[in-house]
Amino acid sequence: MTCREAIDVLADYLDRTMPADLAAELERHLAGCEPCRAYLATYRKTRALGTAVARVEMPDEMQARLLRFLADKLRSS
Amino acid sequence: MTRYSARVYRLAYGITRNAPDAEEVVQDVFLQIVYKGGGFEGRAALGSWIYRITTNLSLNKRRGKRRELETSLDELLPTYLADGHRAGDRAFLVADWSGTPERELLSGESRRLLEAAIDRLPEHYRAVLVLKDVEELSNEEVAQVVGDTVAAVKTRLHRARMALREQLTRHLGAGA
Repeated sequence: MTCREAIDVLADYLDRTMPADLAAELERHLAGCEPCRAYLATYRKTRALGTAVARVEMPDEMQARLLRFLADKLRSS
Repeated sequence: MTRYSARVYRLAYGITRNAPDAEEVVQDVFLQIVYKGGGFEGRAALGSWIYRITTNLSLNKRRGKRRELETSLDELLPTYLADGHRAGDRAFLVADWSGTPERELLSGESRRLLEAAIDRLPEHYRAVLVLKDVEELSNEEVAQVVGDTVAAVKTRLHRARMALREQLTRHLGAGA
């Protein structure tokens, strides 16, 4: 397995949707390849950080506005 | 309703990256639920439909806006030598900042950089990233929502994450 092939399958590896023989081949590659180990570690961390930053919750006051908006619409329809 | 509105807002904000636009999308989605939502047989179908219309309305809202900010991902993807090894300076290739505490990375300059990087992702990439990584849908569910193949969804998701990783590594790598 080359670095290109290893990086191509990292998402499947983290999702655990990869066939066991391919996962074993990737792990053998990782064991001998420091750049790919660093890539996997930082890719995994990026996924966690991206999730945290992209997750923005609805403010409470907006929830209240939505209820008022829908009530007004229903009354006027 | 609170559960659905929270989901709708997260997805709408995740795609539009703009609170007023996301609020309008939420209102439009709930109007559609009120007027059309009675015909659904089960919660699963309703949930999937809500994600689909939220994604479509958010992409429409975003269309034409801030497109100039979007980055071409090609320059942020790994490059390779002819033999399949990564190309580039070895110190950069082995830079591993993953041990930095998440709390530290989610504050200050790193957070601003990551928010800007997410803002600049092409919108269809950001939609897939939010559906998969924030809403935790499966690749198959994401494909249904965005109306694309599973293979296309997986490619977009991987490229989006790699682009974010690259920008973080350029920022953090030297100090790792």
